[in-house]
Amino acid sequence: MRALTWHGEKDVRVSEVPRPEIVEPTDAIVEITATAICGSDLHLYNDRMPGMREGDVLGHEPMGEVIEVGDEVESLEVGDRVVVPFTISCGSCWFCEEDLYSLCDNSNPNAEMARKMMGQSPAGLFGYSHLLGGYAGGQAEYLRVPYADVGPIKIESDVSDEEVLFLSDVFPTGYMAAENADIEPEDTVAVWGCGPVGQFAIQSAQMMGANQVIAIDRVPERLEMAGEHGDAETINYEHADVYDRLMSMTGGRGPDRCIDAVGTEAHGTGLDGVSDRVKEGAKLQDDRPYVLREAIKCCRKGGTLSVPGVYLGRANVPFGPLMNKALTVKTGQTHMQRYLDPLLGKIEEDEIDPSFIISHQVGLEDGPEMYQTFNDKEDDCIKVVMTP
Amino acid sequence: MSEHSFESAAEAVSNSMYPGASAGAEPNRSRWKRVGTVALGGALVAFGLRRRSLGGTVIALVGGALSYRTLSDYLTDAGEMEPVERSITIDKPADELSDLARDPESLERIVGHFADVSAVGDDRYRWSAGGPLARELSWEMESTADESGERLRWETVDDDSMGALFDAWSLSFDSAPGDRGTKVTLEVRFDPPGGTAGSAAVERLDVVPESLVGTALDRFKSLAETGTVPTTEHRPSARGRGDLL
Ligand SMILES: [Zn+2]
Ligand SMILES: [Zn+2]
Repeated sequence: MRALTWHGEKDVRVSEVPRPEIVEPTDAIVEITATAICGSDLHLYNDRMPGMREGDVLGHEPMGEVIEVGDEVESLEVGDRVVVPFTISCGSCWFCEEDLYSLCDNSNPNAEMARKMMGQSPAGLFGYSHLLGGYAGGQAEYLRVPYADVGPIKIESDVSDEEVLFLSDVFPTGYMAAENADIEPEDTVAVWGCGPVGQFAIQSAQMMGANQVIAIDRVPERLEMAGEHGDAETINYEHADVYDRLMSMTGGRGPDRCIDAVGTEAHGTGLDGVSDRVKEGAKLQDDRPYVLREAIKCCRKGGTLSVPGVYLGRANVPFGPLMNKALTVKTGQTHMQRYLDPLLGKIEEDEIDPSFIISHQVGLEDGPEMYQTFNDKEDDCIKVVMTP
Repeated sequence: MSEHSFESAAEAVSNSMYPGASAGAEPNRSRWKRVGTVALGGALVAFGLRRRSLGGTVIALVGGALSYRTLSDYLTDAGEMEPVERSITIDKPADELSDLARDPESLERIVGHFADVSAVGDDRYRWSAGGPLARELSWEMESTADESGERLRWETVDDDSMGALFDAWSLSFDSAPGDRGTKVTLEVRFDPPGGTAGSAAVERLDVVPESLVGTALDRFKSLAETGTVPTTEHRPSARGRGDLL
């Protein structure tokens, strides 16, 4: 079959690879009908994530049709249409039972490696390094889905692929980010980063009754989208000082809830950004926590900082201000299975149509070019959907 | 994956875990760097043993590109080392876990990352390291303690110990804090053939004791809680099929 494979920094290829097969009786094989490139795939593209190997199949935002199931799979049948969440969860461990699916204890075959690096291993993920499982990803014609009774959500209505595909990651991730922010009705919510996760965080914050949502980015089209679809006020950080603007918009209090939907790829404009680049040049491979620093500075005293953005290593953040301002920080990979049913409900009831974020629809063979376009933020690229 | 980027990744991680390491205290820093590098290399090699022996060398090589503490680093010149002990919490009753731990088929899956196991008699199992190493590393163990739900212990049979990787494998079961199942502790006493630090046989083994024990416990837990062991066997990649490549 054809798949997008990783071969090092800025080197994604279309490769012919073997078709996946059922290995455990709890597996299913899905024929992919739509699959997206994620902002977090760019960490791999830029070779910032440890544990990738040449030839690994990329992708963690797929959907498709079940074409084979293992003997013990009960909830799926051949022919079912499913969206596959990016986290792999066993459904049986203490964490899965506590609805903390992205912290599953059993799904990472390389848990020992992750434990050495983090203390404990989070769940395995599709197409996201050997450190997090070494599972083949979903930017391919077919995908093996382990624990098939636990992960995929069946789509039984006639909503389009484009409407439900983002249940695989970015919609639930934006939603959990807003939930983690503990939004109350009077609140002003500031969202750094207007990529797909930021867009869904903005809309989710509105659904949760925020009084005011402020979107921060540097790409005009993304800010426009946040205003148009998310009813947000906007700040372009290349043209305005974010702290000053936020203080003037909140009467000097600062936003009550701050969401960092950027993570480690943040482009700093000030001196902070420069020094991060210098350190990176010295091979320390620190995360670039420009947004985290700014959010800590701007957040209202006693407010909440929610971090759906992905960090990989050490972030040099001002812990003193965080402590003295009594901020609460909530973060983590998304506990996907918690959100699949309720968010599918919102899509089917026309409360939201997530397809608004799609900027490019191409075939799998255009994947390598799309990685580059997306990485360079060219051609108004916000979300690429591929059909194998 | 270039070895360079892996090395700097390990360094980044050790820095991230132990920020004091880069605060200017150089001896400290290089020490933590070594620990981080060792840890990453070790984890890779632990599951590389079987891969290498089966002919796929890449994972072992990635691990081998780093300095890591293999068995030979742990051994003294007199060939001694402390037993390696690790614990894990498994959400199943101790009796059930004891049954799993002594069932040869389950045991084979639990240690599948480095060995094959088969029953050769009552309470007696033959262990063999995977692949070509099986010729050199194959030994029998027999049960020397069986208190179901509390303690199980196997020891290598003396008259057949020439190719034994370890001479004792023991499990103990306690109730986990907070009613979260059973705390399972696995203790392994490594005793490699020709077992002194620097001996050619030990140098060639590339076994990382703590990772081997840690991964065995992970697999035990997954088998007990889910009925399967997570795997990427047969995984497609541009390298071909399977995680051996
Ligand atoms: Zn994603
Ligand atoms: Zn689990």
